[in-house]
Parts: sequence; structure tokens; C-alpha cells
Amino acid sequence: MTLSISDVAIRSGSAFWLAGYTSMLRFELRNLRTYLTIGLAIQILLGAGMAFVYGFYFGELDEAQQTFLVTGIPTLALVPIGFVMVPNAIMEHKLRDTYDYVWSLPVPRASSAMASFTIFTALGLPGVVIALVIASMTYEVDMSVSWVVVPAVLFTSAMAAVVGYAVGHAVPEPRVVALMTNVVMFLVLLFSPIVVAIEQFPDWWAGTHRILPFWHMSVVIRAGLTDGLVTTSVTASYGVLLAWSAGATLVAAWVIGRRS
Amino acid sequence: MLRWEVVGSRLLYPLLLMSQVLVGAGFVIGFGLLIPDLDSATAQYLATGAVVISLVLVGLVVAPQLVAQQKMQGSYDYVWSMPVPRSAAVLASTTLAAVVAIPGIAAALLVARWRYDMSLTIDPTVVPAFLLTLACGSFLGSAVGHAVNKPQVTMLISQLAIFLIIGFSPVSFSADRLPGWLATVHESLPLHHMALAVRSSLTDGLVEMTARSWAALSLWTAVSGMITAVVLVRRR
Repeated sequence: MTLSISDVAIRSGSAFWLAGYTSMLRFELRNLRTYLTIGLAIQILLGAGMAFVYGFYFGELDEAQQTFLVTGIPTLALVPIGFVMVPNAIMEHKLRDTYDYVWSLPVPRASSAMASFTIFTALGLPGVVIALVIASMTYEVDMSVSWVVVPAVLFTSAMAAVVGYAVGHAVPEPRVVALMTNVVMFLVLLFSPIVVAIEQFPDWWAGTHRILPFWHMSVVIRAGLTDGLVTTSVTASYGVLLAWSAGATLVAAWVIGRRS
Repeated sequence: MLRWEVVGSRLLYPLLLMSQVLVGAGFVIGFGLLIPDLDSATAQYLATGAVVISLVLVGLVVAPQLVAQQKMQGSYDYVWSMPVPRSAAVLASTTLAAVVAIPGIAAALLVARWRYDMSLTIDPTVVPAFLLTLACGSFLGSAVGHAVNKPQVTMLISQLAIFLIIGFSPVSFSADRLPGWLATVHESLPLHHMALAVRSSLTDGLVEMTARSWAALSLWTAVSGMITAVVLVRRR
């Protein structure tokens, strides 16, 4: 049997890309189904659970502080998805030796990447809503929800997924990734101005947080949930988050574009 | 067995030591940053809470995870086949856990001194308080580690335990902040009494250790020791 040139022709075009995207979407959903349930449980524990925990540690809080706490909860529920679960899901492929298999599937790599982003961005949403509802029932809060919160949550969720994706693919050693994700959780839960005002932190550390994405995530989401509580520039925060997304996209594009 | 454990986990212990120090110190500094208007009583609660957490974590978390790891690597049965009494093996790993806990405790207390000018008033009850807390924690930990056959389940249990101990136990904050029912539940669990024992032995005038708490803590230690014994003696 001989192969004619048309059998091995390079396929391209938007229809082929879209077909690749939808089949990768199905593939990843099946592949991750138990993982996704665990993810939701983790989000509710870390989101709503931390709302209670911080309450125990903080003691008496006035209404503004309580509102601050509750509106930080969506960020806490998003961080473990993008920054922890995404790189760990990729590591799982590397550990099980299925990493090269996924890349060998006959779909454009970018469509496979987009399928991952879509799933993890969407995955973050129900947990965010549940955590926020539980938290706001526990505290006296003064929220005025506006439509701005929808793009804010989507954007931060996507940003976290892209950064996690870039880290997962760019770092070859699974143990390093495990260490990094632990450090991130430790940083976010204990050393970040997410549920408290950034003015409470020492200057140098507040300065660090103006570069890191976590505080900016909480700013844009809080701006959509409250009125007058966010005193810093929301546009600037979007700018920083956009820079993180762009940087991570470049890294991801370079990693998945190179040949091994 | 002590020598065997030291050699067997020599790569793991430096890592554990480091993470203990980081967690101990980080806990005190981190919550110190977050809590608005930190007063000295809250700081004392935090620092002594970090001590209790270090003591409990090594037993309740590190011990079962080590056993789980042995089970995953398939060396578990090999260890049991060694001609030493099983209780000696468990005591050896408990001793090591104690050694691992020390730097974390020291780090938490030093950081508290440095950041919050906290003064410690150490009285002799510190010895039974530390020993009972550590023993009770690692007996319970060993019981879980040895009784649960699936390493993944052990890991899950210990992760959940960390979250519950740090978040929902009156270890680093006073019990009256918890909702009433949860505070009542903690009356009959060991953690509350561990925290009271350690806190009253390290500070002056913050909390009062009662005979009832000593009794509860001793009882828990005895019972968990027996559970571990039963689990260990059982043959498959």
C-alpha cells in the first residue's frame, strides 16, 4: 500500500481547529471528572470554610471589615483552581506518562490548550458563587452587586488558569510544581491582603503584592460586589492582571510550540 | 529501631524540619499581619497555638503519612517482619516526631518574642503538657496510619485533620469565638485540653488549666494508646 500525499496533508483552517477544540473539551472533561468534583469540594472548603476560620481568628469586626472579608472569598475560591489544580492536572499527565500521548493527539496544540482554559475557567465559577453565598449569610455585609462582577470573575479565573497552565508545562519536575503550589497556598491564605485591606501590611510587602496577581484579583472582584469599598484604581489592577495573562500566554505558547 | 528510622527517613527529615520551622514562624507572622488591631492576648494565643499545632501535627499528620508512604513503597510488611517488638517500632517513630517538632516550636516562640515582645512564663507543667499532647497526637496518628489500608485515604484524612485543627479548633483563639455547639463538641475532644495545658504552662494569667482538663487529656492519651495497641497487635 502506498500513501498518497493527500493522506498526510497538513490539515488546517478554522473548522479543523474548532473540531479539535470540541473533541479536546470532551476528552478533558472525561479525563478530569473525579478531579473536577474534588475541585469543587476544595473550593467550598477553602472559600466558605476560610470565611468562618478568619472570623474565628479575627474576633470582633465592624461592618466594613466584614464586607471586606466576604468579598475576598471569591478570590480565595479561585486561586486553588488556577494556581494549584491546573498545574497538578498537567503533572498528573507527566507522572502517568500520558503527557506525550495527549500531545500526540491529532488536534492543534492551541486548541487543546484552549480546551483546558475553558474547563478550568468554567470550573471555578460554581464554587465561587456557593462560597460567596455561604459567606454572606454568615456575616453582616453591605454588598451592591453590579454586572461588572461577571467579567471580573471570568477574567481572573482565566488569568489564574493561564498562569497555572504555563507553570505546569514550563516546569519539568513534578516535585518542584508541588512545592510551588504549596507555597502559593501558604502565601495566599496567610500573607495576602485578600480578606483585609492592603494598608494593614508593611510597605515593602504591600509593594510586592502590587506586582503579584493575588491582591489585584481581589480588587477587581470586590469592585464588582461593593460600592465605594475599593479605593485603588481598578483599571490599574486589570492592567497588572492583563500583563500576567499575556506573560503566561507567551510562556505557554513557547512551551507548547517547541518540539522535544 | 530508632537508628533504623533515622537512616530510613534521613532524606525526609531535613525537609520536615524546614517545613515545621516555616509553618511555625509563618503562622505567627501571617496571622499577625492579617488580624486587625492585634492585642497582646491575641498574640499570645497565636504563638502558643502555633506550639500546640506543631506538637499535634507531627503526630497526627507526619506519622500516618510516613506509614502511608511505607505502604505505597511496599516496605511496610518488611518493616513489620523485623525481629523487634512492634511497640518499640512505634515508640521509635514517636521519638523522632518529637525531635522534628522542636525547631517549629522554637521558631514560633522566637518569632512571637521578636515581633510582639511576648514574654513567656514557663512553669514546670510544661513537661507533662508537651508530653501528653505529643503522645496523644502521635498515638492517634499511628492508629489511623496503621488501621487504614489505603494510603490515599490516610493522606486525605490527615489533610482534612490539618484544616480542622488549624481552622475549626480553639487552639489559636479562645473557645468562645466558636459557635456554641462546636465549643461543646470540643469539650469532649482532646485538642481543646491540649491547648489549655500548653498555654497555661507557657503564659501567665491568660488561661486557667483545670483538673478536669488534665483528666480529659490523660484519658484521651490512654485511650488512644490502647487503640494503637489494638491496631498493632491485630493480625491480618
